Amino acid sequence: MASSANSNPVPKLYKSVIEDVINEVRELFLDEGVDEQVLLELKTLWENKLLQSKAVEGFHTEEQAALQAAQQQQQQQQQQQQQQVQQVQQVQQVTQQAQTQQVILPPQQQQAPQQQVIVQDSKILQHMSATGMSAAATAATLALPTGVTPYQQLITSQGQILQVVRAPNGAQYIIQQPQQQILLQQQMQPGGVQAPVIQQVLAPLQGGLPQQTGVIIQPQQIVLASGNKVQGNTQVMQAAAMAAQAGQAATAQVQQVQQAQGAAAPQAQPQQQAQPQGQPQTQAQQPPMMLQVDGTGDTSSEEDEDEEEEYDEDDDEEKDKDGGEDGQVEEEPLNSGDDVSDEEDQELFDTENVVVCQYDKIHRSKNKWKFHLKDGIMNLNGRDYVFSKAIGDAEW
Amino acid sequence: MAYQLYRNTTLGNSLQESLDELIQTQQITPQLALQVLLQFDKAINTALANRVRNRVNFRGSLNTYRFCDNVWTFVLNDVEFREVTELVKVDKVKIVACDGKSRNYK
Repeated sequence: MASSANSNPVPKLYKSVIEDVINEVRELFLDEGVDEQVLLELKTLWENKLLQSKAVEGFHTEEQAALQAAQQQQQQQQQQQQQQVQQVQQVQQVTQQAQTQQVILPPQQQQAPQQQVIVQDSKILQHMSATGMSAAATAATLALPTGVTPYQQLITSQGQILQVVRAPNGAQYIIQQPQQQILLQQQMQPGGVQAPVIQQVLAPLQGGLPQQTGVIIQPQQIVLASGNKVQGNTQVMQAAAMAAQAGQAATAQVQQVQQAQGAAAPQAQPQQQAQPQGQPQTQAQQPPMMLQVDGTGDTSSEEDEDEEEEYDEDDDEEKDKDGGEDGQVEEEPLNSGDDVSDEEDQELFDTENVVVCQYDKIHRSKNKWKFHLKDGIMNLNGRDYVFSKAIGDAEW
Repeated sequence: MAYQLYRNTTLGNSLQESLDELIQTQQITPQLALQVLLQFDKAINTALANRVRNRVNFRGSLNTYRFCDNVWTFVLNDVEFREVTELVKVDKVKIVACDGKSRNYK
């Protein structure tokens, strides 16, 4: 045994244990009706994991070790590729999911799984569709109907791109491309069926607002414009001071999906909406995310900034509070950073050194402890060791 | 039943992971996996008792000790494990020891 005393007993021990276990459970597998192939697969998995753990030296032949290394490299490359593909797929999936929740387009037009921006025209209903989810993408692909020219492009503080377009009838519309998909629909055709609005329904504008109405699309709201051919009203989401021009714009914040009814009865639509019409447009009622731009554009933007700043400040205050509490707790251990070096050494080895064994006798005298242990498996510095007996001393 | 003590070792954990994979692919049942683990307990206990014949000494400082349900748990610092062949030093080690005197299997 002297010659073999230098060799590591661990690989042989592990192999013998594996063999014993596999042979013993073969009967169990057959009793359960499980194929022998599964048993072999179990053994292979087991051995491979032991190899990968690198806790045992010389566990398997070098050839198999080389194969393992090659397989790992291939897997890493595949994983990188898969991650890239998955990212793209996720973007597409989110797009599709959001689209399914959107308002169904009027039957006259096909349902396009795309974002749509509707610009009201006094006579013509047009659906614009823009693909992509990002603000930049949607803005880039935004197709404006004839007669509507992009008037001005604004970028909100939230990074969303607004396009102010001016329709032939003099109405100004602001098309916001939120990060979430928003479907806007307007129907101006008589007897046309308005598509259901998903999240929020716009308040119809009373008569007198047809020409100067601001369409502001909130990121989480859907602008539904149900055009009334007769009155030329459209239901629009009002967020901003655009409504202030008319003074009669009402905010529509219906949080439930409601199906728009025929365009012939725009007045019936107010019933669908949660908020009564005629409420003055105030930016304070709007969620801070709303960006409102009116004709002048200056005051509202300032107000928006103020509101947003307030909103941000509130958040910051809350964060500071939480951070303060946590910071106080974390500061104390951080101050004693001298001891961190020991932990770093342990982290390098990436293992907690564990000994699993049985005790024969544990003795203590004052603060002097003596350990008599047996039949143990140790994992020290990432490697495995075994012992039949272990004797130790420690001071507490 | 032998001690299930050795399931949290490299050998035991790799076996459990392999069994979990087979369960996930529904190639074996959880019941069968449990049987395999019980068999592993027997095999490792027997192997350690019969096939291992080496001694180890160690010395260090005791950080914590716990004795609960007849199980000792120690945490030692700055420990040296000495075998005839080699010396291993660690900054921190946890020792979990079940009662080995009485051969009453849990």
